[in-house]
Amino acid sequence: MKSINLKENQFIQFHQKISFKFDGVKYFGYKGDTIASALLRNNINLVGRSFKYHRPRGIYTCGIEEPNALVQIISEYSEPNTRATIKKIYEGMEIESQNRWPSLENDFGSINNLFSPIFSAGFYYKTFMGPHKKFWKNLYEPLIRRAAGLGKPPKDFKGISNHIHHNVDVTIIGGGLNGLLAAKSFINSNYDVLLIEFEEQLGGIINNSNKISLIDNKEPKDWLKETIQEIEESKNVKILKNTLVTTYNYINHLIAIEDRFVGSKPIEGKVNSTLHKIRTDHTILCNGHIERFLSFQNNDLPGIMLSSSFEKYICRYGIAPSKEPVIFSNNSNSNSLVYSLIKAGLKPKAYIDSRSGEKIEPNLFDLIRKNDVPLYTNSQIKGAFGSKKIEKILIEDSSGALNEIKCDQLCLSGGINPDVHLFTQSKGLLDWDEKDLTYKPSKPFQPTITLGSASGQFNFDHLNSDINDKLKNFKIKKLDVKLELNTNAKYNIEKLWEVSPQKKSLWTKSFIDLQNDVTTKDIRQAITEGFDRIEHLKRYTTNSMGTDQGKISSINALGIVSDLLDKKVNEVGTTIYRPPYAPLSFSAIAGRNCYEFYDPERKSPIHNWHLNNGAIFEDVGQWKRPWYFQINKDETMHEAVQRESKNVRENAGILDGSTLGKIEIKGEDALEFMNLIYTNSFTKMKQGSARYALMLGEDGMVKDDGIICKISDQHFIATTTTGGAATVLGCMEEYAQTEWPNLKVFMNSITEQYATFNISGPKTREIMKKAFPDINFSNEEFPFMTFQFHEFNGVPIRILRASFTGELGYEIYIPSNSALKIWEGIQSFGKEFGLAPYGTEAMHLLRAEKGYIIVGQDTDGSITPIDLGLSWMIGKSKKDFLGKRSLTRSDTVREDRKQLVGIVPSNKEDKLEEGQHIILEKEIKSPVPMLGHITSCYHSSTLGHDFALAVIKNGHSMIGTKAYASTSSMSTTGVDIVKPVFYDEDNKRLVS
Amino acid sequence: MLIINCPYCGPRDQSEFSNGGEAHVKRPDGSKEIGDREWGEYVFIRANPKGLFYERWVHTHGCRKWFNCVRDTSTDKILVTYKLDEKKPNLNNFKSVVKTPSGEPEVGSGNFTVEK
Amino acid sequence: MKKKYSIFSLAKNALSGHKEWPKMWRSPEPREFYDVIIIGGGGHGLGTAYYLAKEHGLKNIAVIEKGWLGGGNTGRNTTIIRSNYLWDDSAHLYEHSLKLWENLSSELNYNVMFSQRGVMNLAHNEHDIKEIKRRVSANNLNGIDSFWLSKEEIQKKVPIMNTDNLRYPVLGASYQPRGGVARHDAIAWGFAMRADEMGVDIIQNCEAHQIRTKNGTIEGVETSKGFLRANKIGVVASGHTGVLAESAGIRLPLQSKPLQALVSEPIKPIIDTVVMSSAVHAYVSQSDKGELVIGAGTDSYNSFTQRGGFNIIEDTIRAMVELYPVFGKMKMLRQWGGIVDICPDASPIISKCDIDGLFFNCGWGTGGFKATPGSANVFAHTIAKNEPHQINSAFNLDRFASGRLVDEHGAAAVAH
Repeated sequence: MKSINLKENQFIQFHQKISFKFDGVKYFGYKGDTIASALLRNNINLVGRSFKYHRPRGIYTCGIEEPNALVQIISEYSEPNTRATIKKIYEGMEIESQNRWPSLENDFGSINNLFSPIFSAGFYYKTFMGPHKKFWKNLYEPLIRRAAGLGKPPKDFKGISNHIHHNVDVTIIGGGLNGLLAAKSFINSNYDVLLIEFEEQLGGIINNSNKISLIDNKEPKDWLKETIQEIEESKNVKILKNTLVTTYNYINHLIAIEDRFVGSKPIEGKVNSTLHKIRTDHTILCNGHIERFLSFQNNDLPGIMLSSSFEKYICRYGIAPSKEPVIFSNNSNSNSLVYSLIKAGLKPKAYIDSRSGEKIEPNLFDLIRKNDVPLYTNSQIKGAFGSKKIEKILIEDSSGALNEIKCDQLCLSGGINPDVHLFTQSKGLLDWDEKDLTYKPSKPFQPTITLGSASGQFNFDHLNSDINDKLKNFKIKKLDVKLELNTNAKYNIEKLWEVSPQKKSLWTKSFIDLQNDVTTKDIRQAITEGFDRIEHLKRYTTNSMGTDQGKISSINALGIVSDLLDKKVNEVGTTIYRPPYAPLSFSAIAGRNCYEFYDPERKSPIHNWHLNNGAIFEDVGQWKRPWYFQINKDETMHEAVQRESKNVRENAGILDGSTLGKIEIKGEDALEFMNLIYTNSFTKMKQGSARYALMLGEDGMVKDDGIICKISDQHFIATTTTGGAATVLGCMEEYAQTEWPNLKVFMNSITEQYATFNISGPKTREIMKKAFPDINFSNEEFPFMTFQFHEFNGVPIRILRASFTGELGYEIYIPSNSALKIWEGIQSFGKEFGLAPYGTEAMHLLRAEKGYIIVGQDTDGSITPIDLGLSWMIGKSKKDFLGKRSLTRSDTVREDRKQLVGIVPSNKEDKLEEGQHIILEKEIKSPVPMLGHITSCYHSSTLGHDFALAVIKNGHSMIGTKAYASTSSMSTTGVDIVKPVFYDEDNKRLVS
Repeated sequence: MLIINCPYCGPRDQSEFSNGGEAHVKRPDGSKEIGDREWGEYVFIRANPKGLFYERWVHTHGCRKWFNCVRDTSTDKILVTYKLDEKKPNLNNFKSVVKTPSGEPEVGSGNFTVEK
Repeated sequence: MKKKYSIFSLAKNALSGHKEWPKMWRSPEPREFYDVIIIGGGGHGLGTAYYLAKEHGLKNIAVIEKGWLGGGNTGRNTTIIRSNYLWDDSAHLYEHSLKLWENLSSELNYNVMFSQRGVMNLAHNEHDIKEIKRRVSANNLNGIDSFWLSKEEIQKKVPIMNTDNLRYPVLGASYQPRGGVARHDAIAWGFAMRADEMGVDIIQNCEAHQIRTKNGTIEGVETSKGFLRANKIGVVASGHTGVLAESAGIRLPLQSKPLQALVSEPIKPIIDTVVMSSAVHAYVSQSDKGELVIGAGTDSYNSFTQRGGFNIIEDTIRAMVELYPVFGKMKMLRQWGGIVDICPDASPIISKCDIDGLFFNCGWGTGGFKATPGSANVFAHTIAKNEPHQINSAFNLDRFASGRLVDEHGAAAVAH
């Protein structure tokens, strides 16, 4: 087949030559060419291999509906499955064909064609089961996997895409004739309008066909130019080109993707696509229609193309893929192709129409007669034949006689469908049109208007009234446009879905889904087996499950099924179009909130100090916390943690606790509120004192803990765990507003406003005296669990005497901006006393020695305060608090609940492992009954051996007994169950 | 992606809000004796109707205010939002599009996109 | 007649142009009375009917389905199968199921394509590591294959994963080699076919309107095809279970939320293992067809629309392109949503209730597919014997009054 370059036009200029490579061979095309039009120019028809049978495939369409011509763009990180019919070429572009090995011409996989009689619909459900189930995993599945897939995996790619939000009154989707007319009506109105066009140029059928001869007595191209200019000059209509609306969500929420590098190679480091997120009050769908194909033997051969696509190549790209194509149609839509061919100085080799002579439009008759085109009415194509491209066709004419015609190109039209993809995504209802044989939009669910062929108006005679009527509720000017057509035909179609082959063999194939290699035989088989629901049929045969979602064929499948079942198409149903309209780039969806911007890092105000002082960080929620400090490169984590913890026990350590959540609670009824939120009672608590407090869920389980400082009955400051801060504040807000609106209380997060430093160790008091010489730190003046406000060098600070390590300790709260100065000050004052910073791991070790829990580590949402041995924290006299009632449910008062205990290895040399379980048997014979698990486990330099906290069944009464801990190597270690406190049990160090 | 009309701030994108489940559920008075079962129902059971639903939202990334709403869970259509201290609207004022308890509304909702 | 499938039956039928295959199931009109009616024709419901007929000798059974078989969550999930759950009760239930999966293709003589390619759960912080190590230990003691993988071992199994240069680096993972994926439609069809062969009436397009009871005993169910009397009714209607329970005056602790999933365009094999990460909300496997099957999160609000917010998809994809740099050039082919019924403790309910003859199997949340055969098996037992199987006794309704929950929030792939 020989293509022919026609005249230049505004889209293609012959002096702008571009070179590109396809499968390693260099070719030339012109600026503005798609890969497909450029390949056709070079007479390349074989473009890829099909999914299942590896059949040779060519270019079937000229747009986004393309099922066959998918290629790999090597020059763009090897992007797979790109539609050759929409991707524009650029200088140096490298393209490869897909799903073939070793080459496109000689593909080993085409051997599948030989076995195709067995590879029927759903064959894999019925075989690959013997002789042993291991065969599936080791033989069958690997073979299937290797054969499946289309393109090769792409290369690593870090895309830059941005997201743009729009809030508009009206969004018009599609910049074809109807979209332009709609946009024109809105010019200079009070509406913000967005007009979105997928292609580079506005105009739709004005550019793609010769259907229209005059608009308002002007050449269509001139009218188009003027109209676009008017729209561009208007203040209220914004045009987005190269932008495809892929998703129509509730409520009128549209997702559209804009390609920022059409016809040129994306530049590294630049935004290469934009995802538009559009909120609109009204959506006007003017996205036109899609032509469908027809099923007959070998309807997949390269050289077969939809007729409107052929016309688009002529009008848009200035190329006729063949000089004399045969046309086969069952409707009036291909009339304009005949007109376009003749206008270009070419003519069809034959025109075959399944309609009877009287139904064929007089215009078309005249045209065909005048140009001596062989005409076959009431005729059908029984099959196409050729190896790797079409060579001849077999026609059955009205008399039933068979005619064989040699040809190099066949143009098909099986009718047209409104492009209802977006309409059904919006949940609009469709209705089957018995006359036009297609589904048309019926009831919209959202404020959606459909215009033109998108609404099923396939003729132009009611153009003005249709638009004016549907837009009548807008305050805009009425439309009055005069249209003259070249082929004055009212859309008419005769039912034809499939032509049965002349000679049937086991290998005869008429395709219904080109990309997934589904044949009409597969459809029949599925019906035979009872898969008569359209969704079953789709899933069983994989019909319309390809990357094209069956845009040119799914209605045909419905037609065939309804005939087979002898039901109306409406009763058979239609499958749901799932978003997106066309495959949507992951990079575009991800936008800019990834890589370095994925989840912001939260840092303490003195983060840089940690960075400069050897801190190794851990992620705690979004926070970066110093995990431990490495004093030299060789120090291991274990060594560092042992050093840090030992130093706290012997001298003093300082921890940056700024990440702890801090909530300020104020108001007349703050006291009552706090009593309701926490288990503790704060009523008798003195002003200026602090209390360790627990917060439960309504299910009675421990949710958070912290220290509550009572400034007055009307003013509290609570700390929370680092990860729980937002939840606790959210919970307080919820109860304050929804349950106890009568309480006058307000709360806010002050986490970021204050840095918190925890200094603890036997030498802390000396350090504090030096650092804050004006403050009396004596035990009498500043007792345990009290706090004081001070001003230090003009900075208001709060010091709380509390400890999480078991040593004498103070927490200093400092406005974030002044934090570093004070931190550094303390460091220098503490030097002589051996003060050193410590990280979270040492802190965890120290608190575990003391038997203090960490919510989320020693609890898991199934532990009550009673289980933790913290019954003393429950304000028993309080009438109510969150979760109170749950503490007396039958399961919560059960004796043998899991309870917090301490664990030490019976042989002190033995190691324990966090997460391992406590069991009663020495030998593991699974399943083993488990008593519970080790929640925290460390090596203590103070104790000189490993120790752990665990929650185990009936734990409190098991203290003093022996058991076993499992190990990760599935052996056991003998352990003693002890009280969960390993250090300074009577709190001498804390309170003195 | 819903648009929710915060009674304090006006219509905003769904992503600014958090859902709070069923509305108008009164927490049992802690000072009164209630059975395990009744308490369990309060803690764990919330209405989950298909169709009209009183629910709560909070404008988390906005004014932080809680408010109530009537939404049709079969279509996600929000029929009204109102402040916590406003009177609970009568559901009879709204039309539910669900004809049977677990039926599909007359919109293409997964099972039917074809007009019946 | 029992259908037999093999390469030979395929070859034989190929010769006759695949025109002679028997129907998978009949399309009977409902009878007036059934011993048991199962409401919900998904995998769990059809499986229940299958096991009732096969293991408990019941013959007069109907499965009624509002739409088409397997059209709910069975046909909408990401098909991940594993049993590495934390608590004993869950572990036993899911392991029971996994064992049934391992023989299901041969038992049904229908290839459900259970592909044991291994399931990985990633740890991204110290807290994850602790949780995962605890779970691995519990699994091992329960006799479930479960391993802790170091970062290097992960890289070996999934070379395309970026473990270091991301916001939350990959620190390790749990790994269950026997876990994997299966063909979701096949299990519904396979159960349906074999149940039908044993005389179970499978009635599609039959919507349950109201469960009728009298004096605390079941009477039957009003449907779009009339009133059907029954001695026992099992409700397995996922998102709609609560609505039907309500019609019988039973309040269930369920909330129905949208859960979304998506697939990419098909490419040649690139990832063999199933990889899940609850911390960054992303789980992925590659289907035999070559599509990346990706699960996203739930929305916070109740909805029956089978739609979720686009922001949820965005969150998942952001994590995906960061974890797998090659995904940057991949494209989303389809996205969809289902309605999941979530229990407060993220564990299911397989239980009888206060009404004699009424049974529920629900609350599977985001992870019901893996349990399909196991859940169906013990639910059939519960219905037939009027008391739970040992395996599902913990998953009763009473636990919400007593407080004896099976809190699996940590094990659920999607944080509820």
